[in-house]
Amino acid sequence: MLDLLVIGAGLSGMMAAYAAARDGLRVRVIAKGLGSMHWSAGGVDLLGYLPGEEDAVVTPLTALDALPAGHPYRIPGQEGVTEALALFQEIMGQSGLAYTGAPSADSNLSLPSPVGAARPVYLAPAGQRGGDLDDDAPILVMGFQGMRDFYPELIAENLTRLGHPARADFLPLDMITNLRDRNTIQLALALDEPERAKRLGQALKVRVRSGERIGLPAILGLDEHPRTLEILAAESGAPVFEIPTLPPSAPGVRLHKALRATLLDAGVRVEAGMEAMGFEREGKRIRWVETETAARPLKHRASHFLLATGGILGGGIDSDHTGKAWEVVFGLPLTTPQARSQWFRPEFLDPRGQPVFRGGVPVNNEWQPVDGDGQVVYENVWAAGNVLAHTDPILERSLEGVAIATGVAAGQAIVQRAGGHA
Amino acid sequence: MHGISWQSVDHSLDECIKCNICTAYCPVASITDLFPGPKYSGPQAQRFRENGQPHSPDHAVDYCSGCRVCNEVCPSGVKIAELNARARAQIVADHGLPLRNRLLGRNELLGKAGSLAPGLANFALHNPISRIVAEKVMGIAKEAPLPTWSRDGTFVDWMKRTASQRLRSDKKVVYFHGCATMHYEPFVGKAAVAVMEHHGYEVIVPPQNCCGLPMLSNGEFKAAEGYHRNNVAHLGGYALAGYPVIGTSTSCTLTLKEEAPELLDMHGEAVTSLKMGTWDIFEWLMEIYDAGELRTDFQEMEMVLPYHAPCQARAHRVGKPALEILALIPGVDVRESHARCCGIAGTYGYKVEKYQIAMDVGQELFDFVLDQGEEVEYSACDSETCRWQMEHGTDLPSRHPIEILAAAYGLYDMETRELVEQAT
Ligand code: SF4
Ligand code: SF4
Repeated sequence: MLDLLVIGAGLSGMMAAYAAARDGLRVRVIAKGLGSMHWSAGGVDLLGYLPGEEDAVVTPLTALDALPAGHPYRIPGQEGVTEALALFQEIMGQSGLAYTGAPSADSNLSLPSPVGAARPVYLAPAGQRGGDLDDDAPILVMGFQGMRDFYPELIAENLTRLGHPARADFLPLDMITNLRDRNTIQLALALDEPERAKRLGQALKVRVRSGERIGLPAILGLDEHPRTLEILAAESGAPVFEIPTLPPSAPGVRLHKALRATLLDAGVRVEAGMEAMGFEREGKRIRWVETETAARPLKHRASHFLLATGGILGGGIDSDHTGKAWEVVFGLPLTTPQARSQWFRPEFLDPRGQPVFRGGVPVNNEWQPVDGDGQVVYENVWAAGNVLAHTDPILERSLEGVAIATGVAAGQAIVQRAGGHA
Repeated sequence: MHGISWQSVDHSLDECIKCNICTAYCPVASITDLFPGPKYSGPQAQRFRENGQPHSPDHAVDYCSGCRVCNEVCPSGVKIAELNARARAQIVADHGLPLRNRLLGRNELLGKAGSLAPGLANFALHNPISRIVAEKVMGIAKEAPLPTWSRDGTFVDWMKRTASQRLRSDKKVVYFHGCATMHYEPFVGKAAVAVMEHHGYEVIVPPQNCCGLPMLSNGEFKAAEGYHRNNVAHLGGYALAGYPVIGTSTSCTLTLKEEAPELLDMHGEAVTSLKMGTWDIFEWLMEIYDAGELRTDFQEMEMVLPYHAPCQARAHRVGKPALEILALIPGVDVRESHARCCGIAGTYGYKVEKYQIAMDVGQELFDFVLDQGEEVEYSACDSETCRWQMEHGTDLPSRHPIEILAAAYGLYDMETRELVEQAT
């Protein structure tokens, strides 16, 4: 039997699975589909804004202590969060996708967003690091004629307005592919071919001016991304970096694939297409979780269960038209207001955020879901990631940071408990 | 004309959030622009299929292979492959079916005809001249990996011949052999029977039809419905009485469980008990394993075994039970394929206009198999047409996992594909 069943294959579920498997637990991850990370720009946000404050956070690590009690970051604290991020960097480094932050550990990088805004990012993958807006080098934003999901003129115009000199230019899309109607992932796959990358690099060399760096859409290879980057830089003779595109996002897919491969090496399989639809319990213990199949429900037995299904945007919390909200797997108690009239404040952009997005599953310091009286609901259930209460990752710009920190911490808490039982 | 029902998929349409993840993973859209991908052909085109819209969006939906990779990765549970299957059926209902697709849909009939004189049939089908004729006249690709008819009789012939040696027991299961085991690969059925008997089960083989899948995937819903009715008539009673109906062809079992009832909108009591009572053989073995009843009297088998869970097996959504059971055999180093699809997708890769697409789609699987090293002697896969395609693409023999399991129990010879007790 499994020691741990993780429900959800986002960043928090995968990191928790890794943390647990690393310490010898038998772990499996199941997920409804391959979601979340495919939309992610691929960077790690730690903390961009404090609730109720209009100004961006300058020192994100220190600012963690200023978050309200109950916020998931407050459980591991600065030290635990730092440790979890280091683990993430370690495994990504081993996968060839090095993630680094600003020179000072306690500040955000500023990188161009898909529309050319300045985007605070705590850790960036190597491919995006060259877009650092604290660097003065002018930017050539290179697009491809006929490519959807990437708008060089808009990006260049916005960057210039923000004081970062940039200009837009285009190359024909058939540099990369002769097929029509390709999306970003297909284009990235095409650029895994060294010959194509080389040809593109040579074309860039002709267009780039001395002193410029080149920002390209984030399609610079999928499985061979580091090699593609290297070829482009060598052939063009200029620094090359990626700017995230609209979804599906190649940097997110690379991240997903790297984590999945890391898990596989650690003996953890990730099964997609499995939608949790029920469970069996004995008193306060969950015996198994059931997923939907072509016929009978499939039972997943395990001694520990981790809920990492995401919040109301990720599908872990569902709601009906009256505003009643529920946690979809175990029906756990939520802090989400149970009437639609209380979901939103009168001002949509209220800096305190919207109650509906801050709602979620409340947990104790061991990451176990609790009821209104603070009592543990099920002895062998834990929760991590965006399904947790008291955080609004979109408003706080803390999505990946919360996922990584809570995933690792919950995985470790489960290891401790499993050890205690053995 | 058979009315195509959209009932069970329509609600899932509104769940589409247009994220394009399905398109990113669709193996056909990755390699050809003849097919715009699942988001376009599925949820997007569906909007234009309603209320007698004048322009059909379906010129390309025939290029969907039905592999269901899209369903598996969609974060919103949209039943894209089923939308496409219905769209194909609508085209057939409106415009009729080419002879070639009608023929490919009649796997059972072909099997029966060839089994009458397998030597002749094999010659007629496999000599280069008739393959050229078949391609020119019918559009069946001349390189495609067609099967050969069994020369020592059908699977049921063998069951009859060996009736006196078959195990009698209070514990009984029903076996659904499917057309391929019946006519082309009786040895898969023999291995399955041997393994089930090894666990103390008597194997009942009632009369049965083709599951109807080849017709469903070619859009011939009406004919498929007739087949499914017959199967329900023959097998529904057993299922109702609580006997597991076990199959070795993951596509047949998927059809009994889900494809036929859903696509044909058949939801009666007998249909539903057959649905609920049908098992892929490894799914069933896994259940036995969970109950602590799987026999572990394995012989050690030193082998590196690349295993590909076919699309149809993944569509059961029961994980990869064959992978888990094979991994229990001492000495067997199972390597899990993460390739999306072998390309053949039932009868898709037999069609001349799709043969090359199917080979290109399969390339990632062929590469995976060949990358596992020199010492690899066999690959493994649960589905017959996929095995034939893998053999075609890699030049390595491929086996059904049940053949490997039967060999591990000392019941079966993997090379000659004979039961051990029979080998002389
Ligand atoms: S993956 Fe699902 S939700 Fe996303 S575009 Fe495809 S059908 Fe729509
Ligand atoms: S079933 Fe397969 S070929 Fe058809 S749209 Fe889905 S992923 Fe593509």
